[in-house]
Parts: sequence; C-alpha cells; structure tokens
Amino acid sequence: MELTLRIRRYNPEVREDPWWDEFTVDVEPWDHVLEALHEVKWRQDGTLALRRSCAHGICGSDAMVINGRNDLACRVLVKDVAPKVTVEPIRGLRVLKDLIVDMDAFFDGYKRMLPYLINDEEPPVRERLQSQEERERFDDTTKCILCAACTTSCPIFWGDEGYVGPAAIVNAHRFIFDSRDRGARQRLQILGEKTGVFRCRTTFNCTEACPRGIKVTQAIQEVKRAIMFDRLG
Amino acid sequence: MWWLRTRAYRRFAAREATSLFAAAFSLILLLFLFGLSRGRQAYEGFLRWLERPGTVVLCAVVLAAILYHAGTWFRLTSHILVVRLGRLVVPRKVVISGLVALWLLVSGLVLQLYARF
Amino acid sequence: MQERRKETGGISLDDALGASEKWDFEPKKKKPELYLTIPPKELVFWALFSAGGMVTAFLIPIHVAILGIAFAAGWLPDDALSYERVLDFARHPLAKIYLGILVVMPLYHWAHRFRYAVHHQLGVHGWKRLVATFCYGTATLGTALTVWILLRI
Repeated sequence: MELTLRIRRYNPEVREDPWWDEFTVDVEPWDHVLEALHEVKWRQDGTLALRRSCAHGICGSDAMVINGRNDLACRVLVKDVAPKVTVEPIRGLRVLKDLIVDMDAFFDGYKRMLPYLINDEEPPVRERLQSQEERERFDDTTKCILCAACTTSCPIFWGDEGYVGPAAIVNAHRFIFDSRDRGARQRLQILGEKTGVFRCRTTFNCTEACPRGIKVTQAIQEVKRAIMFDRLG
Repeated sequence: MWWLRTRAYRRFAAREATSLFAAAFSLILLLFLFGLSRGRQAYEGFLRWLERPGTVVLCAVVLAAILYHAGTWFRLTSHILVVRLGRLVVPRKVVISGLVALWLLVSGLVLQLYARF
Repeated sequence: MQERRKETGGISLDDALGASEKWDFEPKKKKPELYLTIPPKELVFWALFSAGGMVTAFLIPIHVAILGIAFAAGWLPDDALSYERVLDFARHPLAKIYLGILVVMPLYHWAHRFRYAVHHQLGVHGWKRLVATFCYGTATLGTALTVWILLRI
C-alpha cells in the first residue's frame, strides 16, 4: 500500500533551519514505519539520517515522534498510520541531523543515578540470595531500554534544564528497590534535590510513551514516597 | 504554549488551574472566619454577602473546579498508588470506588455538622 | 590431568563455583538504615502539596456546596449558620484545628502547583527564587492570618 511520509529534516551543513520533506513509498500494511523510512533512505534520499539497530522494538535506538506521539519506529505499523504519517525527531534534545538527536543530556541524567549495583558489604559465600517477592518488587523498572521516549515526552524535561527525566528515575528505582543493593540512600539524596524526582508533575506522558509498558509515573511516585517516608516498600 | 497543543495537555492545564479556585475558596473561608471573629454585625454582613447571586455564581464555578480536581486526583491516585491488602493487590477501579465512597462518607459527616439531620 | 589443565588454561571447577574450603558463615544481613535524616526542601513542598490535594479533594467540595450554594438557596435549617451556633462550634479547640487545616492546606496545594505552572506553562525560566518565595510566602502569610484569626475567635 502507499504511504506518504512527512519527515522533519535538518542539516546544518546545508541549511540553517529545519524543513519538511515528503516522500511516498510502497510498503506492506504490516510493515513498520522503520521499513518505510528504509525505503526512503535506500531508494529515494540517501541523505536521510536516522538511528536504528535491532528493528524489532528492544534496542531502543529508533525512538521518534510519529504523528505527534513518541514511539519506536519499528513498533508502529504502517496500517495504523496510513495513508500519511509525520515523523520528527524526539523533543527536548538537540537535533544533530534529521532524526538523530544528541543523547548526552539524556545519558547524563541516567549516569547521575549511579545505575549499577552498590554493595560494599562482604560478599556472600555463594550468590546474593533474593526471594521471588524481592525480585518482583523492582521487576517493572528492569524493562527499561533507555530509548528516551518517556523523557522526551515529558513537558518538564522540555522546559527545565537539569531535570533528570523519567528514564533516569526509572533506572534509579530499579536499583533502589533491589534488595541486593545498598546504595538507596545516595540515590534518594540525589533524587531529592531540585533537579530530581519532585519536578515531576504527574503529567503522565511518560507512561503513555513507554514502548515497554513500564508504569513510569507509578515508579516515580514510589521514589517520592520512599523519600517522604524515609523507607522503602 | 505546549499545553494548548493536544486535548490531553489542555486537560492537564485545566487540572492544574483548579488550584487557583481552591485558593480562592480558602480566601472566602478566611473572610468568613474573620467576620466571625469581629462580632455579630461583621459576621452577619458576611452572610449577606454569601447570599448575593454573584457570590453563588462564583461558588458554583469554584465547586465545578474543585470537583474536577477531586475527579482527576482520584483517577491519578488509582494509577500511581498500589493498594495492597496483605498480599492482595486491589484493582484500579476498586481503588477509585473506594475513594469515592470515602468522599461521600466525609461529605455526609460534614453535612451532618452543618444541618444536624 | 595436570597437563590438560595447563593446556586449556582453565581453573578447577571448585574454584569457578567458589566452593568453600572450610566451614563458612554468610555475612550478617545488615538492617537497612534510615535513608535520609534531613528532608530535602523539595520534599516538604511536595508533601504539603500532596496533603493539600487530599484536603481539597475530600473536604472542600461539600463546604463549597453548603456555604456557597445551599445556604443562599435556603436549603439549610434556619439557624444552621447563626452567629451563636457557629461561634459555639468554632470556639472548640478541635474545631479550630479542623478549620485551620481546611483553610491552610489548599493554599499550600495552590502554591506548589502555581509555582510550577509559572515555570513550565507560562515559560518563565528564571526568577526561580522569586517565584518560589512568592508562592510559598503567600501560603505562609495565609497560614499566619488564619492562626491569628482563629485565636481571636
């Protein structure tokens, strides 16, 4: 079937301002928008720049604004957006070229959360044991693929320099509520600051944007409550 | 203005704006209490202000805003709060029903306070 | 056996699995400590906002309905809001606490929401201290006024 893509282009080496381009491709209804973008790049305009890797919704490379909503290009079916689809780069991050953005600001927030297991106790003889309930406690937030769909759909992140963003908080949650971790105090202290979790205004865009179905706002709320009641769980 | 762009964003802005009406009613309550503290004449003067049609219209608008706040607040709470009874997780719709039931109970108690039914 | 191990450069299965050579104790499980001792400023503001939101949602609607509409419409008993009856009620210390909460909590709820609406929706990105002081300051002023008035009743 025919699909018209309206793509937001930007190339500072060619033109100062961004512009829109339209392409019409012939794809199957069960193809994804990513396949349509490939049709454009491989057969019509080789200068189209985009990030993609696994092409099946798990690496998180191709997060884009498709018809005004954040999603992974390899997850949106052509039949759901045909006959016309608008594709733009994700918001709130500096556009480098076409659909590629500078992810540094996103990863900076992520790194500030100390996203690794912190446990300086004497290691046990064998494994660190964890019950099924304890594992279940932080299961939701282990699903994050760092695609930035949530953070770049958050209006607070768009406007507020320094807000770490929902993804960072989700990844902090993953460790804070992990029973094997001992770094909760450090992370909660960082998150209690001005650029931290209290910036969230429960707009809910993040939960809607997450391609992994993580309950982002719920995770953020759990972190806020952990700070408030000074304990986990 | 990003919050004018979609219906969901506009609803979010409306939800945030309800706080203005909450503050407005706090002011009205404060004036009520101030009149009470000043004596019978001042208090009854305030009651007469309450009876004016303009005030009633204002309060109707405030009520609508606060009810919208309550509705969105309950809906939000059901999404982000996991209510557990021991190991049992309460489903979202039941949480909202519970909150509404609690709201009705509290309203009924306050009404009793005023009207002594 | 020795030669084979040298060839593959491997380690013994025992070493790989970390089996103990002797009787061993697992380290004592540490009790999780308190996470934060001084609540961060943002937490205080947010907690007040949250509590204010609860009060606004549960208590304010019925009060608006009664004071703002039912009274003017004549749906209340004649002496429901009489000076003596209300004064009698308001002089009780518990009543004062209740009235205080009723007036003050929505103010803090408004303060927090308004502060961030100014920054994120009106697009005012600077003046952070000023906006915050104005919002929470107004709420605090309202609290002080409320306390003063309630004490005079």
